[in-house]
Amino acid sequence: MLRTLRILPRLALMYLRSQLEYRGAFWIDRVAQVITYASSFAVIWILADRFGTIAGWNWSELALLFSFHLLGYSLGACMSFTQMRQLEEAVRLGTLDTLLTKPISPWAYMVFSGLNPGYTGHALLGIVMMGWALSIVAVPWSIGWVAYFLASLISAAMVTGAVLTMIGATALIWTRSNHLYSLFFGFWELSRYPINIFPTAIQATMLSFVPLGFMAAVPVAVLLGKPVPILGDWAGPAALLAGPFFVALAMWQWRYALDRYQGAGG
Amino acid sequence: MAQIIEARAVSKRFRQHRRFPGFLGALKTLVTAEYTEIEAVTDVSFAIAQGEAVGYLGPNGAGKSTMIKMMTGILVPSAGDLTVLGRVPHRERQANAREIGVVFGQRSQLWWDLPVRDSFELHREIYGIPRPRFDENLKSLSSLLDLEPFLERAVRQLSLGQRMRAEIVMALLHDPKILFLDEPTIGLDVVAKDAVRKFLSRVNRERGTTIILTTHDLQDIEEICPRLIMVDHSRLIFDGETAKLRTALGSARRLMLEFAADPGPLELKSARLTSDDGLRKHYLLERDDISLVHVLDEIGDTTALKDISIEEPNIEEVIRTFYQRRNAELPPR
Repeated sequence: MLRTLRILPRLALMYLRSQLEYRGAFWIDRVAQVITYASSFAVIWILADRFGTIAGWNWSELALLFSFHLLGYSLGACMSFTQMRQLEEAVRLGTLDTLLTKPISPWAYMVFSGLNPGYTGHALLGIVMMGWALSIVAVPWSIGWVAYFLASLISAAMVTGAVLTMIGATALIWTRSNHLYSLFFGFWELSRYPINIFPTAIQATMLSFVPLGFMAAVPVAVLLGKPVPILGDWAGPAALLAGPFFVALAMWQWRYALDRYQGAGG
Repeated sequence: MAQIIEARAVSKRFRQHRRFPGFLGALKTLVTAEYTEIEAVTDVSFAIAQGEAVGYLGPNGAGKSTMIKMMTGILVPSAGDLTVLGRVPHRERQANAREIGVVFGQRSQLWWDLPVRDSFELHREIYGIPRPRFDENLKSLSSLLDLEPFLERAVRQLSLGQRMRAEIVMALLHDPKILFLDEPTIGLDVVAKDAVRKFLSRVNRERGTTIILTTHDLQDIEEICPRLIMVDHSRLIFDGETAKLRTALGSARRLMLEFAADPGPLELKSARLTSDDGLRKHYLLERDDISLVHVLDEIGDTTALKDISIEEPNIEEVIRTFYQRRNAELPPR
């Protein structure tokens, strides 16, 4: 265990070094990400500016929601998205087999050897936007509020990482998994808005099978004292427990899938 | 000698979604949930002692790689008992991994964009190899495989032969008791193949590392493995000394008689005539108990005989003959 913990930073550094071998691609990717998020941000701003509020959320509250979503996503996705999206190829080409012959957890090896530095751009954008939103939004500042804010942010990152991992792990059984990411990103787009703007069926889905409501909509509503449909007063503890619960589920599913791993032949 | 790998009636079945032929079949495949079971390994038993070098041979789809994957803990057997160094590989995968080395000929374990040495250093940390032992192994193995000039070069800049040599060195850095090699010479040129074969023989002889090798190149087996396990259609069909394979599979030796003057048609009871060029006649010796003495006895007057030779078929020929006969005997599908 201790040895594994010692190896992980080395794996992350090796990945970073290998990424920096291609400087042009690295910087183009960063610029593209900033433009993509800035345009999404602009759409929400236009909507809020045009209609005043969206489902009772004003512009600064929406900015806090958007930045919380972006920061939680970047923390969770840097530990899962790129790595798990590559799992399908690793299964198909048999490179996962080589990891399984090493005395190290294949999950830990995959995650840390693909720790994506590209998410620092997301995180920085999220932090800057969050700082600005917090400076203008009316929040009941207290130690408890800050503690809940940080804990629910970590929980949101855990939900993101867990869902992305569970999608990737299906490749261990079905060989293919990447088509499921388009389903994830469909709901991911929705999860940047207050959950009460959606019909009940979508709300229920985003609080259960596709729990992306916990990425931002639920915790930020709790932090701003806004009502959360379906969950009501349970929304506060649910936002904190969602992360550990889905991480435990993802760990169980990973082991289950690995036991049933059949390779892709050859 | 202690047995370090024991397989008792090991089987592996893969469950696959049933596919129907044709376009309508493809549509039917989409909406049905029928499965078929593919037997990749059926009832295979063998034991391998410490220090052996064993070739695991069979045509494509015979179950060679599946067996290697079960021995290395990647796959879980569907039935039977399999132990490697006293452990059940898939249950104690990481403990098993510490004591084995694995080389996949078609899958690299090296970091593509970084110098070879970086992959080796990571390997040292993953396996917890003490620095002095690591340095000693790296020096001796690299020098044996002439790898030293490439250690600081990015893996992507190496030729296939250089990369394979690096893969093999890395798999041995932690002094594994068993080295599994899945097609290690695939795609290599003649010189690189020769270097790899000589190196593996030496590692087996001098370090006592047990070698299990799957290959399509029968020369690999002849040069590295005194013992051969052969599988076909998921079942074991031969397990024994490589030299005795011919006898076991019943391949015939070739007899050539050359005469100073054409003696005309010459049929023999001890050998079957396969071609007659007049002065030179070729036969097959289909029985093992027939020797040159029997042949000469049957010819009787040998004054016109200029030359005579008996050739043992090479391993490739033995196996090709076996598969051709097997295919001819199979019912049409």
